Amino acid sequence: MSDANGYALTVSGLRKRFGSLEVLKGVSLNAREGDVISILGSSGSGKSTLLRCINLLETPDEGVVTVAGETILMRKTRDGRAVPADRSQVDRIRSELGMVFQNFNLWSHLTIIENLIEAPVHVQKRPRGECAEEAQALLAKVGIADKADYYPAHLSGGQQQRAAIARALAMRPKVMLFDEPTSALDPELVGEVLRVMRSLAEEGRTMLIVTHEMGFARDVSDRVVFLDQGLIEAEGPPAELFGDPKSDRFRQFIAKERA
Amino acid sequence: MMSFAFLWTTFLRLMAALQVTLSVWALSVFVGAFIGAGVTWMRISGVKPIEWAARAYVFVFRGAPLLVQLFVVYYGLSSFPLVRGSVFWPFLRDAFNCATLSCALCTAAYQSEIFRGALSGVPPGQVEAARACGMSSFLLFRRVILPIALRQALPAYSTEVISMVKATALVSLVTLWDVMSVALKIRNDTLVTYTPLLVAGAIYFVLNYVIARIFLLIEYWLSPHLRARAT
Amino acid sequence: MNWLTALGFGEHSWGPALCEGAVMTLFVSGAGLAIGAALGSLVAWAKLSGARVAGAIGEGYAALFRGLPELLVVYFVYFGSSALLTATAHLLGVEGFVGVPAFAAGALAVGVISGSYQAEVFRGAFLAVAKGEIEAARAVGMGRWLMFRRIIAPQVLRYAIPGLGNLWQVALKDSSLISVTGLTELMRASQLASNATHKPFTYYVAGGALYLVLTAFSDRVFDFAEKRATRGMRREAT
Repeated sequence: MSDANGYALTVSGLRKRFGSLEVLKGVSLNAREGDVISILGSSGSGKSTLLRCINLLETPDEGVVTVAGETILMRKTRDGRAVPADRSQVDRIRSELGMVFQNFNLWSHLTIIENLIEAPVHVQKRPRGECAEEAQALLAKVGIADKADYYPAHLSGGQQQRAAIARALAMRPKVMLFDEPTSALDPELVGEVLRVMRSLAEEGRTMLIVTHEMGFARDVSDRVVFLDQGLIEAEGPPAELFGDPKSDRFRQFIAKERA
Repeated sequence: MMSFAFLWTTFLRLMAALQVTLSVWALSVFVGAFIGAGVTWMRISGVKPIEWAARAYVFVFRGAPLLVQLFVVYYGLSSFPLVRGSVFWPFLRDAFNCATLSCALCTAAYQSEIFRGALSGVPPGQVEAARACGMSSFLLFRRVILPIALRQALPAYSTEVISMVKATALVSLVTLWDVMSVALKIRNDTLVTYTPLLVAGAIYFVLNYVIARIFLLIEYWLSPHLRARAT
Repeated sequence: MNWLTALGFGEHSWGPALCEGAVMTLFVSGAGLAIGAALGSLVAWAKLSGARVAGAIGEGYAALFRGLPELLVVYFVYFGSSALLTATAHLLGVEGFVGVPAFAAGALAVGVISGSYQAEVFRGAFLAVAKGEIEAARAVGMGRWLMFRRIIAPQVLRYAIPGLGNLWQVALKDSSLISVTGLTELMRASQLASNATHKPFTYYVAGGALYLVLTAFSDRVFDFAEKRATRGMRREAT
């Protein structure tokens, strides 16, 4: 579950540019097993890109990503671009990471339960019966057990996101990645999703969460990371960071978000 | 003239010719689907010369009238001694083969555009979610892209399939005895204009109606996720 | 005589004939599209007005011509209109067979088919015109005819351009079927050339190429028309 140092996930020296714009300028991060890390920052700071580089939905130009002790191998193409060296390794590592998207991204042509067992059956090649049972239990855990045979379009935003979380859990991930999970939700639906995430944190799951929810970041995380213009500007336990912010920019950020 | 006996014999003769119409239609749509899929694949390949070739194919076979295409294949190709001496000649000398080939090439262009449109209509977020689960490209295509794209393509595909039924009437102009040419023959033989044409029209109309209903049924059956939930 | 001379404009060449055929194709397709526009707007109006009988007739007309092969319609209109005209002529005391000119029959056939599709284009375009604009016109006191002329019709046309562009291409291709009536449009011209010279490949490919030229040219024209018509509607790139 973790490497020699007890890290479930390490990221070092990540750089990423889009065209002429360098979005990540050398970001390094470690997560121990059970760590809940909130990643904060204003738009354009690179926080989503950081998350997406971890499971290679974006390809970092430089840097190393190691998941549960396994380093993702990269190589350079002829025109100098960085690409993964082994596609099947990427697929395998992705199946060990669970990602929850801002827009849920449930598969519209499948029912909720089918959404949950799709990857376990076809990617992890686990027996269907076992996956279905586990899926049903997960749905109960996130509070939508009765919606198993519904299609995503018939669920509210909050229900869809909880289903998406269950879908990520169904893969038995080592680390969970949340990309602004509540940003697309109506305010009254945000709470139900945060409640599920909190219970996952209390279970001891390793979670990386990009979020705007300050309260959640402060109350639930073990560590808070503030990204500003592609670099980590501040990092530390929430009590310390929120209580006595040493960084000016972080102070301004909290003030703005509170307003 | 409008005697029931004449009406009935006309109907029977046209129904017998329906077999030719349906054969040309079914074969050309089927073969055209594969060619069309290939053209779509070329079109989205990312390799510029291959993409350009696919675009040229679609432009030519959608821009020129089917009648011209039919004549080029049937009359044009057979005029070359080179073709007549080649290994393809036994195939190409037969009017049915030429007509079906030409129709297949034509529908392939239209089908390729339908496929292309359907593929681009797959929500990218759902593709990302599949990738994030570790699905390989093949698995992703098979389990997410193809099912969604197929459902999106159905309405346009139904229209194209019906277009092809109507297009088969043109094979009457390259010596095939389909419903259209038999109707014209009856007219020429008996000098009765309306009856054979009306009966032929009725047959085509009913055929197209049935096909349209079948597609509606398939669409209905495949899209419970788009309807309101029955409580 | 090599193919270059064959297609060129010399004494024994068929270049001019093909070009004349192309012009004829343009005319007959244009006439067909115009007839289709008249029929289509009538049917669209019938469906939009909510009048049950008129709407049903319009619906039936559209369904009918979408289910029939275009070639059949061409034959039917050609033979049928001649028969009709002859019968009418007999009533009026004129003897013998009166044929409808191939151009008229061809344009009518193309028009009747096109109309069934144009109805949908116009209906959709009308529905796309913002209700608010019509209400504003009413509020300002515009009479119905004035409102139609200055507000509705221009907007409907604007929204209809993409659909009409498509249907124009369809009309161009359908017009090739009129060749069976003997009208010397592009398809027939290619046929005549090919029969006279026994070079079917050359002349049918040349004919096809000319159709492609017409298509490509039409694409440009309609693109330009669409850009001009949506001048005020698109946001300018900053």
